[in-house]
Amino acid sequence: MPRPRLLPLLLATAALALSAPVHAEDADLISSETLTVTGTVSLAATDGEESWLDRGFGKLSTSGDGDGDVSVKPLLSEANLIWRPRFSWALSATIVGTFQGGERNEAGISEAYFSYKPMRGSSTRVSARAGLMWPSVSLEHEGADWHVRDTITPSAINSWIGEEVRPLAIEGSVGTTIGEHKLSATGALFAANDTAGTLLTFLGWALHNRRTLAFNDQPLPPFEPEDEGYQAHFTHPLLDVGSGFADRPGYYAKLVWQPPVPVRLELFRYDNRANPEAVNEDIEWGWRTHFNNLGLAADIEGTQLRAQAMTGRTRMGFEEGPLDRHWIDMRFRSAFLLVSRSVGKFGLAARIEAFETRHRGSWWDDEYDEDGWAATLAGKREWGPFTGLVELIHVSSDNPAREHVGLEPQQTQTRLQADLRVNW
Amino acid sequence: MLRGALFGSLLFCIGVHVSAAPLTVRVLDEKGRPVRDAVVILRPNGPAAHSSAAGRYSVSQKDMQFHPFVLVVPVGAKVSFPNLDPTRHHVYSFSPAKRFELKLFAKDQTRSVVFDKPGVVALGCNIHDGMTAFVMVTDSAWTAKTGPNGIAQFGDAPNAAGRVSVWHPYLRAKANLVEQNVSATSRSTIFTVALRAPPMALSDGY
Repeated sequence: MPRPRLLPLLLATAALALSAPVHAEDADLISSETLTVTGTVSLAATDGEESWLDRGFGKLSTSGDGDGDVSVKPLLSEANLIWRPRFSWALSATIVGTFQGGERNEAGISEAYFSYKPMRGSSTRVSARAGLMWPSVSLEHEGADWHVRDTITPSAINSWIGEEVRPLAIEGSVGTTIGEHKLSATGALFAANDTAGTLLTFLGWALHNRRTLAFNDQPLPPFEPEDEGYQAHFTHPLLDVGSGFADRPGYYAKLVWQPPVPVRLELFRYDNRANPEAVNEDIEWGWRTHFNNLGLAADIEGTQLRAQAMTGRTRMGFEEGPLDRHWIDMRFRSAFLLVSRSVGKFGLAARIEAFETRHRGSWWDDEYDEDGWAATLAGKREWGPFTGLVELIHVSSDNPAREHVGLEPQQTQTRLQADLRVNW
Repeated sequence: MLRGALFGSLLFCIGVHVSAAPLTVRVLDEKGRPVRDAVVILRPNGPAAHSSAAGRYSVSQKDMQFHPFVLVVPVGAKVSFPNLDPTRHHVYSFSPAKRFELKLFAKDQTRSVVFDKPGVVALGCNIHDGMTAFVMVTDSAWTAKTGPNGIAQFGDAPNAAGRVSVWHPYLRAKANLVEQNVSATSRSTIFTVALRAPPMALSDGY
């Protein structure tokens, strides 16, 4: 079990940080500067199938009422307590405690990491982070509570990051300016993300704000009766399967280039190097998952463009069959384009995206291939600490695994939702 | 300091034995729009004139940004850095004209820096990557910053030929600087400069 091993590691890191030469007057542990509370209440009107949070195949976090009619629900969507103690001018920490409500209530830690940013001596700067933190893939999220900036629902790509890409990492970055160009490179070693790929396989792509909290699990949709016993009905994204913590560390790396025009290019590569044949007593497997994500951010005369394209592959289980394929051998792809613009105190955003999975495993083969697309329209208004958002989202997908719950593989779902966020 | 000011003004009086002829400089971008925060320096032929370093100059931090974006000060000026934000800022510069770092707690309004060499000083905050500003330390009395209308005026410019330079942090030229000659009779000149767009934050940050 990972919990006993992680605790000594976190405590050791804390002891190390606190024993660093710290002047008492430089530290700021608890104050109005270091504590922030954020929360979101929502009113959602959803049609279509049951959400995956309700053990269905619905890609959104809310469900239709099951009879083909619209279900209207108020929710306390989330609340966060953000604590950012500062130990010195260079060393600080971020701990975020999160409650998520709706179809499933849960609370836990969504981030806990140290951040080290020493003063630079030239145009080159070095920094480091260590702990449980969001890898910087998403161009849609911002802030310590990792909220979505322009819409309510993130893209399929960034929803999956929130679901399953939850490593414990040690990360270093170096940034420099060459002429008028800014460049930065980030590299990290990580552990405890062996199951990344489980939900993406058994549910498919999804679009929601449901982040996985430390040590918590996510539900999987039902299997066919003859498939029972291969895999647990849940997945713990923060998990090391097999012997020893970090005996097979994974890595991720990121390159960013900012030329002297308002365009930024990012390339992110991840490989958890997990052993696909490792399994624990809960029947959770190691999933060998790697992906590349290309990101583009641009500012054109006040209109912002954000785009990401991700391709990856995940493998799990023993190699079987005439082609020696792992039980699961799946390639996944998705891309989105988000356009947003401020009009006075209002913000408007529109996003279009497509996603697919391609199965070539010995257990799940191409009969399980998924295809889908989604369109999102959102408006935003800020009043001091409050932000109001209204979003219309439509997702259409063909996922053959829906037959496990007696549904047609092709399903569409539409939701109109209003959110009120507070930041205090 | 007062002696220096007196000496400076004396030099100014001796040097300028012709009547003053006001000079107006307009800075426009390639689309004809006025450029603000451009620093215009006039160096007329003849003896140079320096401003006194007396005066109150400050670069404040408010709402996670420096104010003003471009500050013009004479050599030897003392600039204060009041932190008006509820968070701390770690202000620094590694520009050759002045290397320094200031650890400013929230609402700390007590610190200042003397800028003793001419040149451009680029400011940043080590904690908040999006904060940026510039201090232009000038050794010429005829230095002005353009306002929103893109105009810099030198009411007391000497009636002599000279060289006018325009600097802007986003100017697409060597050292972000362009120069032109100005004759004794031309009392109004226009600079059209190519600017690059302001930089995006390197990381959207979380």
